[in-house]
Amino acid sequence: MSANTWLATGNFFTTYKQEQRTFLTSLDRTFFTFFLVILFGWPLIFELGNKNMLVIDNILIAIVAVMGLNLVTGFAGLISIGHAAFVGIGAYTLASFSRTLGDSHVLITHFWPVMIILSGVMGAVFGAIVGLPALRLKHLYLAIATLSFQMIFEWTIQFFTFFNQGQTIYIGRVAWLTGQVGRKDHYLFWYFIILTIVVLLGFGIRNIMKTRYGRSLVAVRDNDRAADAMGMNPGLTKVYAFALAGFFAGVAGALHAYVYRGVGFESFTLHESIGYLAMAIVGGLGTLNGSFWGPVAIKFLDLQVESLAEISGQYLPSGMNIATALKPLTFGLVIVLFLMFEPRGIANWWRITKSYTKLWPFRY
Amino acid sequence: MRSKKSLFLNALLVLVVMFAFTAQAYAGGKVYKIGMSLAITGPTSDAGNPYSKGTEDYFKFVNDTKILGNDTIDCTIRDDQYKTDVTKRNFEEYLEDGIVMYLNYSTGSTLGLKRDFDEEKIAVLPASYHAGNLDGSNYIFLPIASYSDQLVILAEYVAKNNKSGKAKVALFVHPSAFGRGPVADVEKAVAAGLNIELVEVVEHGKNLDNTAMLKRLMSKGVQYVISQTIQSPVATMIKDAQRLQLSASSFGEAGKFTFLGAHYTGGNDLIALAGKAAENYFWTTGFNITSVKGAGTEAQLALAKKYGRDQKAADSHNYAAGIMVAQVVTEVIKRAKAADLDVNRANLYKMLNQMNGGNAYKPYSTSGPVSYSKTDRAGVDLLQIYSVQNGVFKKVGEPMQSEYMQKIK
Repeated sequence: MSANTWLATGNFFTTYKQEQRTFLTSLDRTFFTFFLVILFGWPLIFELGNKNMLVIDNILIAIVAVMGLNLVTGFAGLISIGHAAFVGIGAYTLASFSRTLGDSHVLITHFWPVMIILSGVMGAVFGAIVGLPALRLKHLYLAIATLSFQMIFEWTIQFFTFFNQGQTIYIGRVAWLTGQVGRKDHYLFWYFIILTIVVLLGFGIRNIMKTRYGRSLVAVRDNDRAADAMGMNPGLTKVYAFALAGFFAGVAGALHAYVYRGVGFESFTLHESIGYLAMAIVGGLGTLNGSFWGPVAIKFLDLQVESLAEISGQYLPSGMNIATALKPLTFGLVIVLFLMFEPRGIANWWRITKSYTKLWPFRY
Repeated sequence: MRSKKSLFLNALLVLVVMFAFTAQAYAGGKVYKIGMSLAITGPTSDAGNPYSKGTEDYFKFVNDTKILGNDTIDCTIRDDQYKTDVTKRNFEEYLEDGIVMYLNYSTGSTLGLKRDFDEEKIAVLPASYHAGNLDGSNYIFLPIASYSDQLVILAEYVAKNNKSGKAKVALFVHPSAFGRGPVADVEKAVAAGLNIELVEVVEHGKNLDNTAMLKRLMSKGVQYVISQTIQSPVATMIKDAQRLQLSASSFGEAGKFTFLGAHYTGGNDLIALAGKAAENYFWTTGFNITSVKGAGTEAQLALAKKYGRDQKAADSHNYAAGIMVAQVVTEVIKRAKAADLDVNRANLYKMLNQMNGGNAYKPYSTSGPVSYSKTDRAGVDLLQIYSVQNGVFKKVGEPMQSEYMQKIK
C-alpha cells in the first residue's frame, strides 16, 4: 500500500482489515462523497418538474428492487423470475393496512418509515417461503418455482376482494416534520427518501459481501458442493438469499406505493419481473454497481422507445400495429446483445474505465 | 457580387420570418391546452388508435375552421401503452404545460388517478365508461352511459323480447375491474324485478376454444350471453358457437345462443374478427355508426376524409368516440367564452355541470344529447342497440334509457 493514499495506483493489502475497507483509496472516498453531495444537492439548485422527478423516483425504486435481484441471481446464482411479485408483496402489505385501517391512518401517513421496513420484512418472509424449494431445486426448475409464485401472486390479487381485485388501493399522503407533504413537493420528497434508502442499502450490500454471509452466497453460487464441504450450509444460504432479495423487493414495493399514492395490480406482473431481470443482466449480474447501471439504462431506453413507438403509432397503419411491437422487440434485442457481447453488463465498462483512469498514463 | 446577392437574400428571408411571427402574434388568439393520454400502442390500441385520431382530427378541424375565432386548442396526445404508471407521468407533464381539461383512456388509469384529478380540480373525460370511476370523484365525466347501464339495457331488451317465460342469461366478462364492474348492477336489477334469470357469470381467460363453456351454458338452458369485454374474446366465442351450430339465426331462437354485448365488444372490428359468425350479434353504444347513414355519420366520414384517414379508422366507432370527447371540450370552451368567463379549469368544470336540460349539448357523433350536472356524470343517457344484419350493424329500434338503472341507483 502506498504511504500516500491519494497517490495509490493499485490495491496493495498487508492486512485483512485493509482489504475489508469500503473505500480502497482516499480518492475513492472523496469521489464518492462528492458524488453523493451532487446527488442530494442538485434538486435544490435545478428545479425539475413533477414529471421528470417521477421518472427519477421510478428509476431509484427499480434500483432498490434490482439490488435485491442481484443478490439472489447475481451473487447467489439462483434465477428468480418472480421478482415483481416480491415487490408486489411489499406494496400490498401497505395496501392491506390501507384497506383495513383507512388510507390516511396515522400508521400509513406518519409512521411511513416503519411501514417501509415492515413491507421489507414481509417481502423477506415470502422470499424465504418461496426460497424453500431451493433446498431441492436448481437452475431451470428453481426458475419455474419462482414463476409459479408470480402466477399465484397475480391470481390472488386479481380475485380476492380484499385486494380490490387488482384495482387501485389508495395510499394517503405522508407527513414530514413540516406537515403533510403536498402535491407540489411529493416527488421531490420521495426522491430524497428513496435516494437515502438506496445509499443505505448499497452500503448494506457492500458490507454483507465482506462478511461470511455474503461470501457464502458467492461460494454456493460457484460450487455448492465445495461450499458444503467447507462447512457452509448451501440450503440455508439459498433460502437466506431469497429472503434478502425479498426484503429489498418489499422495500421497493412500499416505496412504489407511496410514490404513486396507490397500489394497482399491473405494476407487479410477470412482464415487470422480466424487466427487473433485464435490468440486472444489462447492468451486470453479481456486481453492486450493475444494480445502478441496469435500471438507469433500461428505463432510459424505455423512454426513448416509448417516444419512437408513439411517433410511429401515429403514422403507421393501425391494423399493422407495428408500433406495439417496437418496445418488446427493442427490449429483447438489448438483452440478447448484452448476453452475446457483454455478458458482464455495463458494470464491466465501468470497471474498464476505472482501471484505465487508475493506471493512466501507463497501459498496465 | 455573388456574396452580396446571397447576403441580400438572407436578410430578406430573416425579414419574412420575423414578419410571419409578428403577424401570428398580432392575430391575438389564445391557445387552450388540453392533454390526452391513451393506448396508441400496446393492449387495446386497436380501440385507442382510432380514438386518438378522432380527437386529433376534430381539434384540427376546430382550429382550421375557426370555431373558436382566433383562439385555438392545442391538444397534446401521448401514448401510455395502457399502463397506469405511464399515464400518471403523462398527466404530470400536462399539468406542467398548463392544461385546462384532460382526456383519459383506461379504467385502470382513471381509477388510479382519480385522486389526482380531484386534487387538481380538473375535469376529465375518460374513454372508460366504468360506473366505479364516478364513486367518490367530482371531476370525472363519462362521455356516455356506464357499462352498467349498457348491460342492464341489454338485459331489459332480452326480458322484453324473449319469446317464452323467463330468459336465462349468462354474463361473459373481462377478468378485471372493467369487466366485473357492471355485474353487481345487473344482479341488483334482477333483484329489483328485471325478468331474467342470471344463470352464470363467466370471467374469460385467454383460451382460444370456448367449446366446453358453451356446452356447459347450453346444458344449463342459457339462451342469451351478454358480454362486457373487448372484441377478440367475443369473436372467439361467437365463432365457436357458429362452429358448434349453436348461434341463433334470429333474436331469441330456442335452443340456440343469442349474443349481445356492451360498447367495447362490438363495432366493425368485431365483424372483421368474427366474419359471418358476427351475424345477429346485438350491441349497444352511445355513438352513431357509419353503417347507419345519417347527417352525423356523414360529418364523421367527411372529417376523416379531410384529414386523410383510412376507411378502417373512418368507420370505427372509436373514431366517433374520439371526436365526441373533442366536441364536448370544444363546446364547453365555447360556452365559457360566450359567458365571458376565463377559459380555465374551474370555469370549464362549471360549464360541464351546467350542460343539462335546455343546455344539453347535441354533438353529431352520439345517439342522444350529452347532459351533465352535479349529480349526473354520464353524458349520453340514450343508448342505441344495433345488430349485425348482412355483415353490417343496423339500428334496432330507437335510442333508449335504462329503466332499471333508475330504480337501483
